[in-house]
Amino acid sequence: MLKLLIAKELREIIGTTKFAVTFAVCAVLLLLAFYVGARNYQVAQAEYDAAVTENLNQMAGLTAWGEIDHRVFLPPQPLAVLVNGIANDIGRTVEMRRRGELRAENSRFNEDTIYAVFRFLDLDFIFTIVLSLFAILFAYDSINGEKERGTLRLSFANAVPRDQYLIGKIIGSFLALVIPLLIPILLGCLLLIAMGIPVDGGEWGRLALILGAGLLYFTVFLTLSVFISALTQNSSSSFLMLLVVWIFAVLIIPRVAVLISGRAIDVPSIDRINYEKSVFQRQQSDDFRQKMQAYFAENRGEGGFDQDFFARFQEQSQTWQDENEAAAEVFNGKLNEDRQNREQVQQRVALNISRLSPASAFSLAASELAGTSLALRNAFIESVNEYKTTYTTFIEEKTGDDNGFVRFSMDDEEEEEPEPIDPQELPQYQFSLPDTGTLLSRAAIDFGVLAIFNVLFFAGAFVAFLKYDVR
Amino acid sequence: METPTPAPVVAETPAAPKGRVLLEADGLTKRYEDDTLALNNVSFKVRAGQVFAMLGGNGAGKTTTINIFLNFIDPTDGEARVDGIVTHREPLKAKEKLAYVSENVMLYPNFTALQNLDFFAKLGGRTDYTKDDYRKVLLRVGLQEEAHDRRLKGFSKGMRQKCGIAIAILKDAPAILLDEPTSGLDPKAGLEFSRLLTSLREEGKAILMSTHDIFRAKDVADIVGIMNQGELVMQRTKAELEGEDLEALYVQYMAGYMDEAQASA
Repeated sequence: MLKLLIAKELREIIGTTKFAVTFAVCAVLLLLAFYVGARNYQVAQAEYDAAVTENLNQMAGLTAWGEIDHRVFLPPQPLAVLVNGIANDIGRTVEMRRRGELRAENSRFNEDTIYAVFRFLDLDFIFTIVLSLFAILFAYDSINGEKERGTLRLSFANAVPRDQYLIGKIIGSFLALVIPLLIPILLGCLLLIAMGIPVDGGEWGRLALILGAGLLYFTVFLTLSVFISALTQNSSSSFLMLLVVWIFAVLIIPRVAVLISGRAIDVPSIDRINYEKSVFQRQQSDDFRQKMQAYFAENRGEGGFDQDFFARFQEQSQTWQDENEAAAEVFNGKLNEDRQNREQVQQRVALNISRLSPASAFSLAASELAGTSLALRNAFIESVNEYKTTYTTFIEEKTGDDNGFVRFSMDDEEEEEPEPIDPQELPQYQFSLPDTGTLLSRAAIDFGVLAIFNVLFFAGAFVAFLKYDVR
Repeated sequence: METPTPAPVVAETPAAPKGRVLLEADGLTKRYEDDTLALNNVSFKVRAGQVFAMLGGNGAGKTTTINIFLNFIDPTDGEARVDGIVTHREPLKAKEKLAYVSENVMLYPNFTALQNLDFFAKLGGRTDYTKDDYRKVLLRVGLQEEAHDRRLKGFSKGMRQKCGIAIAILKDAPAILLDEPTSGLDPKAGLEFSRLLTSLREEGKAILMSTHDIFRAKDVADIVGIMNQGELVMQRTKAELEGEDLEALYVQYMAGYMDEAQASA
């Protein structure tokens, strides 16, 4: 019976214009997303390679490691071009410094602002907006439409269990929507291979999981549509209701979640933090100047500013400078940590509220699996900070001092002609995403949320349909 | 004019019943939530090989009776039984023994006639038919061969009605419910339908038919019942109606009830 009902549903949908339109739109959008994504990856990879080479080239001819201007870059990720997440919003370049904070700069949207206006066409957009609408289009009249057409009455004049009829409807609609989706996706995957995008086994696995989340996501809208269709007596009412629900679920809730958390948890702005840091630095500079003046006054010996005085002064000022830098690091670290903690709480609140929307749950799961979630920014900065330690040790070994501080020298000794440095000796910066298991465990909550939505809406549809007047 | 006394509500059909009772309404009463009394203590029996024609105006309770047999609604009181199975207690079991043709047969417009037949035959539990079987039944109900492979969206009401009747035949259920089945059929198709009904009766089917068509009722029915305002106000066998003017009788019963209703108002 169930097989018969599924086959009927499938055949009924496949024979319609809406199926043909869905297939055409999905094919065009998905293939375009894969093609544009692959091209973007190629361009981003070429830019990345050029930036890395240029970074090394500009060190050529330098003779002191202390003089180098070293930058590291966030390498492009193949899945990031299919699910953009925040990949285009965060800075991709970090100027390496042995002291002070490291900042990521030069985001894609910062460089090409026009893309920030309309964003890229990616799988996230296609699933959250286009496919959810198609899911509604496929199922908004699944029950009341059959009643309006008179076929429900004839069907239930037979010994048809209502639960099987409902499951048949949902599975049939699901399969009818999966067909226009899977064919272009498979073609898109072949396109990635043909265009030489280096997708490894783990990334294929994650892409499959993203598609799994996508299927779970539009099933939410299918079951919701069947639910609303079983609650209402005519299809125009159910369509209107679903449109309103869609607007709230896809467009409003995620934005409201961010607004609410922004209001509820105050996070000081970067400008504010920078202001506090500069006030502290000014205070330190004043202290430093006063200490120097005092030192000069107290320690000016009989012999005036002799070489011994300068040596002692240099040593003392170095000590004060070290103390100041350590204090500044503690102060800045505390400010940063405090801001980061508040920001994390704000993000957690925003994300949890936004999970009331299945669209958010899908976007979060997809971006987590693609490695383009909010965690990407922290992961990049953390990896750069880890590299900073290696880089600092390397530079210290090369320069022989602890900070490249140029010492005063009163000697007129002839120095040897310095050898040019070899930039290839620099330790390589590497960025890698966590493994699939870790990313999946982060996305698990959103898979769970989508599963809960499905169960709730199916249960609602089941209860509503049990009471449904099929006459 | 003297108002005829309504026939007893519970009435064993006076003609010697040959088959077993396949359709039985036993004190069926239906009161809706808005307190409308749609059926009031309606009882009748339809045996194998009998056609029971329910006559009555709009809102008389004919379709409500059929809806209770199909378990689309539950009775407030009384029982509807199909081959002894109480429909609101074991609806799926009861429906296995029922075929149904509605007043306005609506099928899947994007399916061909054969595809519709295939789906509904299988839904009715018949998986043993071939395409040839479907074609034979469609020809039997008078649907021309060139229409068999056409999508239903271009079919007239009469053509859809024929498909609906074919679906009911294919189910091969012992009892058949027909809700205004000749509505929309042209006179020729109506005549063909009467012949078909006769042949189904000869096959031993118990047929309950609601209709406005007094002449067809008199022509094919073994028992004629008249319903008015939710009550079965008359039921007579074909033999009892012999020589009677059914149309006049119908008008008399309706008028009598209208008089009563006016008096009580």
